[in-house]
Amino acid sequence: MASADALLLRPAPGADHRTKSRLRELGLGTAFVGVVVAMVALVATVVAGAWSDQPGRAVDVARLDAWSFGLNTAAFGVVKLSIGIVLLAILRRLWLRVESVRETLPALKGGSSEPAPIRPGTIDTPYGSATVSADVPKPLLIHRMARAMWAPSLAMGFMAVAGGLVLSIVQASKVASDPGLAADLSAWVKGIQFLGEGFLLAGVSFLLGSILYSLRTGGGEVQRSAGVAVHTLKFPTTAKAFVALMMVGLMVEVFQFVVYLATTSFEPASAASYFAWLGPVREAGLGLILSGIVLALVTIGNVLGFQFSRITEIVRTGR
Amino acid sequence: MARTTRIRDDFDVEVSRSALGYNLPQRLGRALWLPMLAMALMAFPAGAILGAVRANAIATGGSEKAIAALGQFTPAVNFLGFAAVFAAVSFAIARILGTFRVGGGQVQEAAGAEVHTLRMPNTGKVFIAVMGMAMMTLLGAVVLHAIIGASIAGDSAYALANAPQWSFWLEGARRIGIALYLLAIAFGLATIVTVLRYQAVRIRELPQGAASRPEAGRLPS
Repeated sequence: MASADALLLRPAPGADHRTKSRLRELGLGTAFVGVVVAMVALVATVVAGAWSDQPGRAVDVARLDAWSFGLNTAAFGVVKLSIGIVLLAILRRLWLRVESVRETLPALKGGSSEPAPIRPGTIDTPYGSATVSADVPKPLLIHRMARAMWAPSLAMGFMAVAGGLVLSIVQASKVASDPGLAADLSAWVKGIQFLGEGFLLAGVSFLLGSILYSLRTGGGEVQRSAGVAVHTLKFPTTAKAFVALMMVGLMVEVFQFVVYLATTSFEPASAASYFAWLGPVREAGLGLILSGIVLALVTIGNVLGFQFSRITEIVRTGR
Repeated sequence: MARTTRIRDDFDVEVSRSALGYNLPQRLGRALWLPMLAMALMAFPAGAILGAVRANAIATGGSEKAIAALGQFTPAVNFLGFAAVFAAVSFAIARILGTFRVGGGQVQEAAGAEVHTLRMPNTGKVFIAVMGMAMMTLLGAVVLHAIIGASIAGDSAYALANAPQWSFWLEGARRIGIALYLLAIAFGLATIVTVLRYQAVRIRELPQGAASRPEAGRLPS
């Protein structure tokens, strides 16, 4: 973990806070690539629609439908990965901002130069309950998990989405020669690609958790170095709901993957009825993870508001 | 009121005596993230229920009309959920940008320096524009799904016969709408990176704030 922090999440001391972020540019470039790939899939879908009412085109339409689904879901995966890269840029920038505040705050601190006594306990703030301590708070379990899991989740997700794309191309090639295998591959493609999408969004969620860790730890370091009491917002309800929604959403994606695999042993008529509800379920799973991401962003906004309020208080009162 | 003359080479800022308030997108973000999230959390279970009803109709040999109509209503509800949840993500990002704008200004004001507030970066403008395009694309697809579904339920033979073709086209529209939403979110987050870089630079300037402090009456408040 220490090496990951040093290499990726936390820049080395003395790093230049003025330079533009390469990760940000890489992330935006990757997002553009993803959207271009999605446009290719869009053209294929439009053509499939135009051919769908023409006699003798059924096999062509099935082929287009097969690979365009795989390609489009892979495009989503690429853009989600790009969001992860931009979040990494945010993490590094947050640490550079912590360094700037830590170096500057002693000169800005107002009020008496006498250090005020620190009384550990709990206080109410407009942003929720906060703890008062003399030292930087230790990371919570979710923070440790987030820092350990963001990279494996993104990697597994991207591999699953890319693997699904390969399977979708094989599926397209078997539509005419082996329809049974093509049908089985269709179930595999949907199951594995949406499992991958779930892992990618979980990776994004873990990066947001890492941002919350850096805000908590960085905020504590800044206050301690300024010689004032360390005020830390308690784990908010929105953060608890974020974790719950992400876990449930990921479990739904694992569930749909297992059921999709099971349908490969079903009769075609039975499999068709399963597909009818598996589609909305796999999308609901992603929707739950995305809802968790909304709450993570809201939590980040609240923590930032609390920290600005605390810095303003230190500048005005010196304590 | 804020002075808008370009006074720095590295960043385009507005200068004022006191912290600026939230801009319109940030006010919208603060007001709308929760209703959008609530709508999404209602839409996804509703879509799953419609999918289950359709699956039951397929398994029990239900009417072709009902199966086809549900085949339109289910994605309509599900993608209403996606439009809502991506809007909630975008509004939550706008809310964070608002916190940076107001909080950063308050810290500068407390330090007694003139308040430099970053003007909306180009990535922020692209974020808003692409988000609008994505939302319109998704909502357009949702509305068309609902119209086709209602036409099938209303015994339109034309709608029933052409439903597969429209399903392909609307699926394409839904997919590109999602891709655009994700692109908008990447731009919104990239804007946060720019704001963080600016704030890391600006706070180091504050101890010398006396030198850059405005003369009395020079700046609007």
